[in-house]
Amino acid sequence: MELLRPSNVDQLDEGVYIHGGTEVVPLLRDGILSGERLVDIRGLVPRGVRDATIGAGTTLAELEVDPQIPAALREACRLAASPQLRNMGSIGGNLLQATRCWYWRLKYPCRLHGGDTCFAREGEHREHAIVANDFCASAHPSDVAAALLALDARVRTSQRELPLAELYHVPDEADRNVTRLAAGEVILELELPPVEASVYLKAMDRKKWSFPQVGVAAARAGGETRIALAGVAPVPWLLESADALASGDEWATPLPRTEWKVPVARALVRRAVAALG
Amino acid sequence: MASELIVNGHTYEVRAPVGASLAHVLREELGLTGTKIACNEGHCGACTVQIDGVPALSCITLAHAVRGEVTTIEGLRDHPLVDAFVKADAVQCGFCTPGQVVSAAALVAANPEPTSEEIRHHMAGNICRCGTYPRIEEAILHWRG
Repeated sequence: MELLRPSNVDQLDEGVYIHGGTEVVPLLRDGILSGERLVDIRGLVPRGVRDATIGAGTTLAELEVDPQIPAALREACRLAASPQLRNMGSIGGNLLQATRCWYWRLKYPCRLHGGDTCFAREGEHREHAIVANDFCASAHPSDVAAALLALDARVRTSQRELPLAELYHVPDEADRNVTRLAAGEVILELELPPVEASVYLKAMDRKKWSFPQVGVAAARAGGETRIALAGVAPVPWLLESADALASGDEWATPLPRTEWKVPVARALVRRAVAALG
Repeated sequence: MASELIVNGHTYEVRAPVGASLAHVLREELGLTGTKIACNEGHCGACTVQIDGVPALSCITLAHAVRGEVTTIEGLRDHPLVDAFVKADAVQCGFCTPGQVVSAAALVAANPEPTSEEIRHHMAGNICRCGTYPRIEEAILHWRG
């Protein structure tokens, strides 16, 4: 195995891209990712915050304490993972982290691995998705992605600019990918439009160092409120409106042992909207 | 592929192949066995070292990708926290203790008088299966002796 360290985008070769390594190293070790060439992209991904632009190489620990950063994103960073992982992990990498679905992690031949079964739907799925879960019931684990989705962030990659929502793709028969990032495409920066208020609330199994069972980010800008959820769908999930959950539970299609997430999500959305004032 | 590693002020050449973890190299190549490997997947904090003063998990850090100076528990043997842990009896089996001290040393370097809440937030990535958390907190609160 070789390790390359390109210093600009033009020098990018194909391979397994690695930044903080908190996700990629365990996936390499487990054989879910493989390749003979590792590409350390820290030399070409910007790091740090400049006005409303966040370098994708900025660590979660750096964002957690930065007063320029909207509250929802600071809190999402603060509540994510452990201190060491927040010191190591970049915000760009966090957006691309894979599901915690144990069947996927244990390399069951599930639909995300190209098979024809979602083992979680019939099996153990307490921590899985409650919406968009028909083809694959995995839950997206990124607190940060939910916060950035509520904040209406834009993503600049080595190839294009796009709204964060368009980075993600609910996996289906034709396309099993969870993101629309092309081969060789690297997230470079995130752009945040101004917001008047924002908040992130998170239900987890422990008070610290836990993935979101349900995470709710809410942001208000120009009289409009955007709400996004973590841990409820195979991708970070944007609600159609702040009232989307008020009229009943038709919005969700929980599995037998994920029904508990539905009232938790409703309560957190209500509290998040109230916290915006 | 040769690569240099600075650990506790000494420079070493890494001989392990690309893909080897920093924890593996510290223990098996450099003989610095104070750094422990427990979960070996970035969860438990037993392998914590500092890289340029910042706590990181050496079991999921690739040795060849380290940029910066590594400090292990061996580099902190004279730190007052070591005595503070002994004095507070913040150890039962002791396996997690090196990682605990490495994390705590970074905390008190940045914030010499942390509150209990700050200690709990900062130390959340170091699991103690014996459950000595109240004594670890006490040791850090009184780290200056």
